[in-house]
Amino acid sequence: MRQPQFIRSNTFHWALAVAAVFAAFVVVLFGFIYWKIDDYLTARSDRVITVEVDGIAGLSPERRFEAIEEKLRQDPRGVQLAATFAADGHRITGNVEGLPPHLRIDGPAQGVDIIRADQNTRKPQTVRAIARRMRNGDVLVLGRNVDEAGEISHVVGQALALGLLPGLLLCLLAGAWLSVRAQKRVEEVNQRVQRIIAGDLRERLPHRNVDEPFSKLAVIVNGMLDEMETLIHALAGVGNDIAHDLRTPLTRARLTLERGRTNATTLEQLQTAADKAIAGIDQSLSIITALLRLAEIENSRRSAGFGSVPLHELLREVCDIYEPIAENKSINLRAEVKHRLNVRGDRDLLFEAVANLVDNAIKFTPEGGSVSIELLRSDGEITVRVTDTGCGISEHEREAVLRRFYRSDKIRNTPGVGLGLNLVAAIVKLHGFRLAIHPGPGGQVEIVCPGSQQA
Amino acid sequence: MLSKPGAGAAKVVAATEYELMAKVLLIEDDSETAEEIAAELADRGFEVEWAANGIEGLDKARSLRPDAMIVDRLLPGMDGLTVIEALRKDQVRTPVLVLSALGAVDDRVRGLRMGGDDYLTKPFAIVELVARIEALLRRPAESRETTLRVGPLELDLIERTAKRGDRVIDLLPREFRLLEYMMQRSDQLLTRAMLLEEVWNYKFVPATNLVDVHMGRLRHKVDGPDDVPMIHNVRGAGFILRTGP
Repeated sequence: MRQPQFIRSNTFHWALAVAAVFAAFVVVLFGFIYWKIDDYLTARSDRVITVEVDGIAGLSPERRFEAIEEKLRQDPRGVQLAATFAADGHRITGNVEGLPPHLRIDGPAQGVDIIRADQNTRKPQTVRAIARRMRNGDVLVLGRNVDEAGEISHVVGQALALGLLPGLLLCLLAGAWLSVRAQKRVEEVNQRVQRIIAGDLRERLPHRNVDEPFSKLAVIVNGMLDEMETLIHALAGVGNDIAHDLRTPLTRARLTLERGRTNATTLEQLQTAADKAIAGIDQSLSIITALLRLAEIENSRRSAGFGSVPLHELLREVCDIYEPIAENKSINLRAEVKHRLNVRGDRDLLFEAVANLVDNAIKFTPEGGSVSIELLRSDGEITVRVTDTGCGISEHEREAVLRRFYRSDKIRNTPGVGLGLNLVAAIVKLHGFRLAIHPGPGGQVEIVCPGSQQA
Repeated sequence: MLSKPGAGAAKVVAATEYELMAKVLLIEDDSETAEEIAAELADRGFEVEWAANGIEGLDKARSLRPDAMIVDRLLPGMDGLTVIEALRKDQVRTPVLVLSALGAVDDRVRGLRMGGDDYLTKPFAIVELVARIEALLRRPAESRETTLRVGPLELDLIERTAKRGDRVIDLLPREFRLLEYMMQRSDQLLTRAMLLEEVWNYKFVPATNLVDVHMGRLRHKVDGPDDVPMIHNVRGAGFILRTGP
């Protein structure tokens, strides 16, 4: 026979375990209560008989007999024991058959087996008893039956057992209920997830109130799904952009080749057409190369190759390389490097990032402008700042420039692939740095290295 | 193919002039690519052997003793880098140009470059391939010379000075490095990518045409208005330093 599914569930197993622990706890509790009651009752009996034995021992022999008779008369439950024995050991009065052999005379109260004289049974009973030798040589024995401790324990045990059974039952029921409920939720989630896998990106997991763990989890997963949906849509958009940006030069190449093939009459004309076509194909290839490089950087987890990179040297080198290019455009390029600062990172990639920023800055600065590269340190952060006097990046363009292929309308006609800042952003992210783009006038882009990444 | 017609016209580096029938082993599984490469190399006076997979390639490399090898990275049977590692274990030091559609940033590629071999990412211009094979075949020998001389040009590597005839040329450190690199490889076509990698140590292609700007400055200093030009621009391919016209 197949077990119901909830019995195999983890939740139910936990409920079973809790029930077992609960039962064990009750048993231990019972033992403890029994032990404590027994202890208490024995101590109290001992106290009572010790006081009484001293009291009766102080009386004259006649009064003593009377007191014993009186005491036994006033004890309908038969828990009291009292007797006097002559020096030779035979009983003078009382309800104890003989002087118990193990009872120490003039010692403290102790547990001892006696045979009662006033009952038919000859079975020895365990009682607490104390014995005193009188001045005339008689021995006075007082005792008390502590069987009531057992009775009380019995009652308490019954009560606990009565509590235990419904408790255990409740545990199992709760376990079964919780596990069935959890299974239902999992099934529900599974159905939704299956729909998401099937391609319904708008599907979300169900959630009720936020304080319940399952709902909390659902809310978290939904947040992730939101982000993924946005990303997938963005990716689709990027796909379109890529297709467009690749198609444009390829179309040009195709047209050129087609026209060259039909119209060229000399080898030279054909070669010119082929040259133009190759240029178009090369542009498509450079876009693909840039995209692959971007993917490579974004997917790489290689921080193992990170070392200490001296930024001051790196900036000077970038400045050195770009200086002739800036000069050709009559742009004043300078590096302001006052400190020697190192960060942890990949030197080649950081070089590429800074070079890209400077490249951009020079490209978008009109002739006669200036570009500066600064290395700053403040509040424990190291900042590489590239400032130019070009058109700058406006507030509403700030997000857009980090989108792939984004080219500001202002600069539509400047050559380039439009992936430069993406590369920078990817490199910066890989290093755990931050890219800050400040609004104009002029352009200002910063790579900020937090203190934890410094070396 | 990506070969530009301009490069064909400027066939300045015909291999026959320097290496008599240099033997090149091409290990490439795509027969069309292999055919084009082989044809172009044959045009330039190389003797080309072709192997279509790694195991055959390894056999031929051992038996034919080529002067240089072109190895595709992804090969059936045995991948290109493994072929090279196997050869190196046998102490075969033939220079290798690895072709690959994969990016060139992983450690094995770095190792290749450190070992004096080269790596070219597909797709490539055929002139680039030929220029790199030439460069591999004519790796500058370890020289103790402290002065480089090409025609009237003289470069003192200790004093860090340059002269053309009697005229002293004032060079910035980076220009000095560029000229040194070119003088060690005079009469060789040096492509922009090669210069970027070797002189500027760039691992990426910058958006701006850095090489042209720097080369323009160097040429301005090296070739005075009345001098016969020594630095030549090979259209669509790269640059070459030579004494002849």
